[in-house]
Amino acid sequence: MKLSDLKPSALKATYRKLFVVEKSPSEKEKPKDLKKELRDFWYGKPHEERRLGDLYVENTGLYKHREWRGVKDTFYYFHMIWLYNYAHMVTDILKYGEGMQALPAFLKGTMRYRWMGQTYLTVMHWFDRGMEGMRGEALRASAWHYRGMTSETIRQFMRMFISDKKLSGGQEPELWKKNIAHNETVGGSIFYPWRDVLDDVPLEMIPYFVSVHVNNHTVLNYIDAAQSIGLPSDPCPMCQAEYGLFVLDDYPDYAPTMVTSNEACDGSVATSILQDWFLNRPLYAMPQPMRYDDPLVQEHCQKEIEGCWKFIEEQYGIPFDWEQYVKYARSFNKLTEFEWEKWDVAANTEYYPINGVAQALYRIYYSQDGDRPIWHEIDDHVRRIMNKTVKNKIITFPKTRHRAIAWSCAPLYYSNWCTWAYNCWGINCVINMDSLMFDQYLRTDTYEHALEDLAWMNEKAPMRAMAVGGHEHILSLWNYMERFHCDMVIMYDQLQCKGMQGIHGVFEDEFRKRDIHAIWIPHALPDKRTVSRKEIRQIINDYMTTVMREEPLDPTLVDFDDDASW
Amino acid sequence: MKDLVHLFELEDLLQEANNELVRKAKEDGKRILGYTCYFMPEVLLDLPGCCGVRLRAPRSSSPDMATYYMSNRTCMYGRCLLERALEGGYNFLDAQMATETCTVTCRFQEHLQLMDIIRNPDFFCEFTDVPFKKNDNSIDHFEKQLRAHVLEPLKERFGIDTSDEAMRSAIEAHNEICRLITEIGSYRKLAEPTITGTEFSIIQLASLTCPKYLIVDKLRDIAEQLRTRKPDEKKTYRCKVVLSGSEEDDPNFVKLIEECGALVVADRHCYGSIPGREEIEIRAGETPLRAIARHYLETSMCPRFMDQHIMRERKEFLANVAKEYHADGIIVSQMKFCEYWSYERTIDTLILPRDYGIPVCSIEKEYVNNAVGQLRTRFQAFVESIELKQLTGKEAAK
Amino acid sequence: MKKLWKFLGKVLRVLAIVYAILFAVFYFDLDGKFMYYIWEPMMVKRFDNMKRKDNTDMPYAKKDNVASKEYTQIP
Repeated sequence: MKLSDLKPSALKATYRKLFVVEKSPSEKEKPKDLKKELRDFWYGKPHEERRLGDLYVENTGLYKHREWRGVKDTFYYFHMIWLYNYAHMVTDILKYGEGMQALPAFLKGTMRYRWMGQTYLTVMHWFDRGMEGMRGEALRASAWHYRGMTSETIRQFMRMFISDKKLSGGQEPELWKKNIAHNETVGGSIFYPWRDVLDDVPLEMIPYFVSVHVNNHTVLNYIDAAQSIGLPSDPCPMCQAEYGLFVLDDYPDYAPTMVTSNEACDGSVATSILQDWFLNRPLYAMPQPMRYDDPLVQEHCQKEIEGCWKFIEEQYGIPFDWEQYVKYARSFNKLTEFEWEKWDVAANTEYYPINGVAQALYRIYYSQDGDRPIWHEIDDHVRRIMNKTVKNKIITFPKTRHRAIAWSCAPLYYSNWCTWAYNCWGINCVINMDSLMFDQYLRTDTYEHALEDLAWMNEKAPMRAMAVGGHEHILSLWNYMERFHCDMVIMYDQLQCKGMQGIHGVFEDEFRKRDIHAIWIPHALPDKRTVSRKEIRQIINDYMTTVMREEPLDPTLVDFDDDASW
Repeated sequence: MKDLVHLFELEDLLQEANNELVRKAKEDGKRILGYTCYFMPEVLLDLPGCCGVRLRAPRSSSPDMATYYMSNRTCMYGRCLLERALEGGYNFLDAQMATETCTVTCRFQEHLQLMDIIRNPDFFCEFTDVPFKKNDNSIDHFEKQLRAHVLEPLKERFGIDTSDEAMRSAIEAHNEICRLITEIGSYRKLAEPTITGTEFSIIQLASLTCPKYLIVDKLRDIAEQLRTRKPDEKKTYRCKVVLSGSEEDDPNFVKLIEECGALVVADRHCYGSIPGREEIEIRAGETPLRAIARHYLETSMCPRFMDQHIMRERKEFLANVAKEYHADGIIVSQMKFCEYWSYERTIDTLILPRDYGIPVCSIEKEYVNNAVGQLRTRFQAFVESIELKQLTGKEAAK
Repeated sequence: MKKLWKFLGKVLRVLAIVYAILFAVFYFDLDGKFMYYIWEPMMVKRFDNMKRKDNTDMPYAKKDNVASKEYTQIP
């Protein structure tokens, strides 16, 4: 800090920058209306008067002050979201850290790993971004989804930290031998037979995937590191980041083995080559067939899963436990049943209480992770809220002008764009492509049925179900549009995804032929430097004003700077 | 060296996909079957009554229409193939025997299915699923796939004889081509090679893109001539290199390397012969189809294979190729936007010099090679660095 | 009894003050500002200056098959 910063004028300017919301000229000129002010205080301002964009501290995404949502919702947010989650961010560490070792392990992990130290404490801001402008039941249900993801994240990183050789001076902690590391694209369901005795923890889920959503600053280091050893910049940046972690030695060493797969694409296969080098330990590759609709490929896929099970048995000396598999698969089926219930409400009513980002992230997180108690706890909360909205016919997103479906994979650094799109333009993102994967019930009546279903489910994993195995999968968009009663498509244009780029023109042709409003959102998954959030918003703004000829619901959200935000 | 017999003729045949010999085969009543990847066993496409043609898009320029469909951020090989298809350059195809082995060629082939591009009423495009591992389970799977997606459609649609006897005779004919190409290629192992990389590249490419029964005589003549061909009295190259990497079907690229002083003595890349021209062996108790499925999985060195020991063996394999062909260095070339090879190239570039002491020149290129000047500079620098290394080695030995 | 009321009153006052402070932190996004302007730069500095192992030194020897032959090799 410079001395000049302490001058009263500088302090005043800083204070104004960080705390003072400037009123617009028209607001200044308005005569005082005490009754309206009281109403706004009690209920919160109507959507069109909120001026949410004025709340931002320029360029940072921080708030001069958090939004006043009316007494009830503000205090719900304060108590049940902000305080509740901060408190649980402490208690969950103790809960999942297995006793006294939890706190030192957490502190060591925070100081050792960039993805942890820079990211963990900014979690509440991730909630804020996802929940901007939301009210009532939609606010509550969406926040529960975020709570579930936060809790499971804590469980995973605590398991990594208390088992981490690097945090234990190179010694093997007791739990090191009881963990299976796997690529984040390998479904947790594969490991159900050992869930009670071993813990399967995806290697990149927290260090890369979750951390980008919370704070996208850290991932840029990993992408740069990946390229620093000679990789060109065009491969999928997700894969780059996944192995950039290894180049920077920023991965926890918490398990003696690794299971990897070819999901979702060529880049994933290729990433395994470099990860294998850096991990330098037994690695089992469990590929899924590409042409997964073909009945002839199923047996091969099932055998590869059995191969993985045999690998675990041999490496850990613990036999396959059918009872465990049945227990967890049945429990997971309950989550799937509720998911279908949610889809039904989302598709056919206006009472679906979950916003686009909460729906997308929660679905991809829990279905990839597999059955865990927290998901059931969260589903209970959300079920109660959804029952209420349906029963009382509560329209959860009352300013909806367009029901949108988002297709292909989303920008990880801006998965909350749909909260903005609703607040600014009334675009309600009802469903997205990755939510529709793993659409599979797991039979447990016989081993053969179980294996058949498990294989089929893993063939339809995230980013993969629609992307491979024939153009008909990716072009199933039209059916889903109809099923979810959507009138608009948000077409994610992942610039480095060869599979999606390779079918770009066909979509253009079809959109024209079918007269569908489609907005292409270019992005580079975790790398905001390629296409910034502001540029993404500008593309939507341009479409809404020039093609749709619509006026924004909240004009302050049309143009603002948040390049340096988390 | 004295010009190789038939070489200009073969070079001429490479100027277009629907070349004179393909047209001749069509006139002979053969069904012409396109494919793009080594994992589609060419031997099955050469069953009596049909011919396989591995697709190229020679003399391509800017693939504008394909770029609309596949954007400019996909591998240019895939785009140039689509452009050529859209231009009508593949209307001679009766079928495309497709594989989903890398994303962009898969998308190209899906466009053939989706857009009714090929102006041939009989045309169909059928996909085969190719496994990622080399094990028994994979062979079972691949065998089933080949039966269902290659043999059965060929039989049903074109009445091709797909019996074991027909496959045996196709294997025999295929093996003769392999023997000839292997013999021709073996002269690159000599201390003073009697065939250049460019010449070999033309021969190998012709064997992939022309009906084999129409070029086998030419290959015999070439092999015959090579048995007595003498190297130039004065060495015309400064070092020997292995060319490794992704798709490469342009003899002019090999020529460019050789113009810079590096003789290309081995071709370990897609469309190359290492691997690719090994004879298919039918083991005792094996059906011909089983042998074919095993052969292609066993021999392929594609970076798509994921078993841990196979991923690691690939580096050793490449080092052994360099040793066997007395190469002084390796050029690892990757088609821009090829994901498999961008990673494989990265690790090859780090591991081969470190663990095997082999210098590596690592480059990225486009299918339509416009960056000739830049590449020339890179290759010249690489040749100089090898020479310098050799000089330093000699001095140290003194 | 009076003392007890007094004590409870004090506790309530303290709780009210804590509550008001927490609400102020929440409402004015003081947690976010602290993380953004103080915590994160500190962490960035720490991680940028951290000595890291050069993982490209990792050996790349051939590995034995990791699972039974049936799953890893062609017989």
